[in-house]
Amino acid sequence: MKFHIIAAKDLKILMRDRNALLLMFIMPIFVISVTGLALSGSFSQDIGIDVLVVDLDNGEISKGFVEFLEEIDILDVDMESNEFAARERIRNQEYGRLIIIPQGFTESVMGGQNSELLIITDPTEKDANTVVEKIVEGYASRLSTNVVVVKTVAAYGVPVYNKEQIYEVVDVADQFTQPPPVQVVTESTSTRLEDFSPFTQYVPGFAIMFLLFTTIGVGSASLLKERESGTFRRLVTAPISKPEIIGGKIASTFFRGFVQLTVLLIFGHVVFDLNLGSSVVALIVLISAITLTSTGLGLLVAVFVTTKDQADSVSTMIVLIMSAMGGSWWPLFIMPQFMQDLAHLTITAWAMDGFYDLLYFDLGLAGILKEVGVLLLMTILFFGLAISRFRFE
Amino acid sequence: MTDDAIITVEDLSKQYDGFMAVEGVSFDIKRGEIFGLLGPNGAGKSTIISILCCLLEPTAGRVTIDGFDVEKNATDIKKIIGVVPQEISLYYTLTARENLAFYAKIYGLSGKAMKDRIEELLDMVGLTDRADDRLEGYSGGMKRRINIAVALLHNPRILFLDEPSTGVDPQSRKRIYDTIRDLNRQGTTVLLTTHQMEDAEKLCHRIAIMDKGKLVALDTLQGLLKLVGESDIIQVTSKELPPEAADTIQQIDKVQKVAVDGGSMTIGLVRGRESLAGIIDILIASGTKVESIQIKEPDLETLFLHLTGTRLRR
Repeated sequence: MKFHIIAAKDLKILMRDRNALLLMFIMPIFVISVTGLALSGSFSQDIGIDVLVVDLDNGEISKGFVEFLEEIDILDVDMESNEFAARERIRNQEYGRLIIIPQGFTESVMGGQNSELLIITDPTEKDANTVVEKIVEGYASRLSTNVVVVKTVAAYGVPVYNKEQIYEVVDVADQFTQPPPVQVVTESTSTRLEDFSPFTQYVPGFAIMFLLFTTIGVGSASLLKERESGTFRRLVTAPISKPEIIGGKIASTFFRGFVQLTVLLIFGHVVFDLNLGSSVVALIVLISAITLTSTGLGLLVAVFVTTKDQADSVSTMIVLIMSAMGGSWWPLFIMPQFMQDLAHLTITAWAMDGFYDLLYFDLGLAGILKEVGVLLLMTILFFGLAISRFRFE
Repeated sequence: MTDDAIITVEDLSKQYDGFMAVEGVSFDIKRGEIFGLLGPNGAGKSTIISILCCLLEPTAGRVTIDGFDVEKNATDIKKIIGVVPQEISLYYTLTARENLAFYAKIYGLSGKAMKDRIEELLDMVGLTDRADDRLEGYSGGMKRRINIAVALLHNPRILFLDEPSTGVDPQSRKRIYDTIRDLNRQGTTVLLTTHQMEDAEKLCHRIAIMDKGKLVALDTLQGLLKLVGESDIIQVTSKELPPEAADTIQQIDKVQKVAVDGGSMTIGLVRGRESLAGIIDILIASGTKVESIQIKEPDLETLFLHLTGTRLRR
C-alpha cells in the first residue's frame, strides 16, 4: 500500500504553509477565546431569582421562614421593612416577586389559627414565579402541618395550656415531618445551567466550524489543486492504484482534521477549564466520526466542482450555512423546534449533540452511539456518492 | 505492425461528447526510436498520449505497448513508461530532492538505490547544486528539467513527452534536447508531441503529422519534405492585410494555398521566386503597407501548409 506516501507528502506541504497552519490553529484559538470571554456574561450571569420580603410579623416563625428562604441557593432574598415601599418596588419591576408576612403570623401559627402569606409577582416572569410559589407553598405546608397537629392534640383533649407546651408539640411534629414522609424529587437540566459555561458551547462550536474549513475547504481544494497542476494526472500514470491515490488524499485530510479538532479541545480544557468528560475513548470516537464525515463531504465537493476557486467558494458557503444552522454559533437548544429539526440535516448539529453529551452530560460512549451512528451513515453516503462520480481522467 | 515495433496503434479513435478528438489513427513506433507527433493545438496529439499512458480508454481501435494492451494491462504498462506532462506536475513548496523522493517512493524505490538514482538524475539535469531549494524559486526551464527527471526515476523503457520545450528558454531547451538524445542513445524509446517545428526537426527520427484528429503524413523529416516537392513559402507581414488581396493572390497559377493570420499572410506556392513580383504588385494595388516579405525554404511549416492548407501555429 502506498497511500501513506501521498498522505505524508500532503502533511509535509501543510507544515510549510504558514497561512494554512494559521487558519487551522491560531485563528480558531483566537475566535474561541474572544467569543467565549466576550459572551461569558450571558452564560455565567447570576441566575438567582430575586425575592423581596416584608416581615411585618418579626416573630419566631417569620424569622425562621426568612432564614429558610435565604438558605436556598437560587433565591436572592432582600428585606424591606415598609410594605408600601415594597409594593412600589415590585410595581416598578425592581423585583419580580414580593412576599409579605403579615403581622401576628407567628402568633396565628402557634395558636393553631389560619393565616396567610401573600406573594405578589411580576406576571412576565412566569417560570421564576412558579419556583418561588412552590418553595413558599412547601414551607407553608409544613407550617400547616404544625397547626393541624396543635388542633388535633387539642381536639383529643390533651391539655395544651401555654406557649412552651405548644412549642414542644410542634417540635415533635416537626421531627416527623423532616424529612417529609413522602418526597417529590424533580430534576431538570436547567438546574445545571450553572455548569454550562460559554466554552462548553464555543470551544466545540468553533472547533467544528474550523474543522469543516479544513476538511471540506482545504480538503477539496487540495485535490483540485493536484488536478489543476497536473500532479494528479502524473500520479494516475504511475504504478499506484486509484484507491491508493484517493486513500492518500483522504488520509491526509482526515489526519489534519483529527489533529486540529483534538488540539482545539485540549486548548479549551487547559486554558478555559473545559470539561472533556470522563471517557477519552468516547471523545476519540466522536472526533474521528466528525472528521471522517466532513472529509467525505470535502471529497464530494471536489467531485462536483471543477476548479480550486469554485471549491473555495462552495465549501465556504457550506461551512457557514452548517455552522449557523447546526449550532456552532449558539446553542441548539435555544432554537425553536423546527429549526432544531432542520439543523439535524447538518454534520454540525450531530457533532454538537455528541459534544453536549460528552462535555456537559458526561454520558460516555453509550451516550453518543446515536450521534456517531448518524455521522457514519452520512460518511457512507458522502464517500459512496463521491467515489461513484469520481473521474480519474 | 513491424517486428521491432514497441508501440502499435491500430485504427484508434476517441470521441468526447460527440466530438471526434482522434479518428482512425494507425502507426507503429520502433524500439529505440525518437518519434514525433506534430500538429497544432487540438490536433489530437495529447489525446493519443493520454490513451498510451492509460489515462483514457479508446472509443475504438487497439493500442499495445511492448506487447501489453492498454485496456487490459494498464498496471504492466505503467511500470515501463515514463510520462513528462505538458504542465509542470510538481509540488512547488517542496525541494527538487523532495519531489524526486516522493515520486521515487511511488515507483517503489527506497533506501540507497533511491538516493543514488536521485543524485544521478539531479546530475543529469544539471541541478545538483539547487537540489535542496524549493521549486518555487526555480526558473521555468529548471522546473521543466526536474519535470523530466521525475519521469526517469524508474528507468522507463519508453518515455512520453508532451510538448517538452513549451515556455522554455534557449539554454534549458538545449539541455532538454541533450537529455532526450542521451536517453535515446541508452536505448529509451521516445514519443514526443509538439507544435514546435524545432523539436521535431532536431530530435525526431520519424514524424507523424496530425490535423483535426487525423494522421495526415508519417515519415522521416527528409521523406516528409519530399512531399512538398518544389513548394516554397512566402511570408508577408503587414499591419493590415485586405482579404481581397489574399483572394487575388490565390488566383495566381502557381499558388497552392494562402493563409491569413492577423498581420501575417502565408503563401504556399511552386517555385516562389518566379511569382514574387506578381504577388508584390497585387499587395501594392490593394493598398497593403508591406512591412516585410520573405521566401522560406521547404520545412515542416511548408509541409503542414501544403498538406492541410493551414498554418501549423494557428
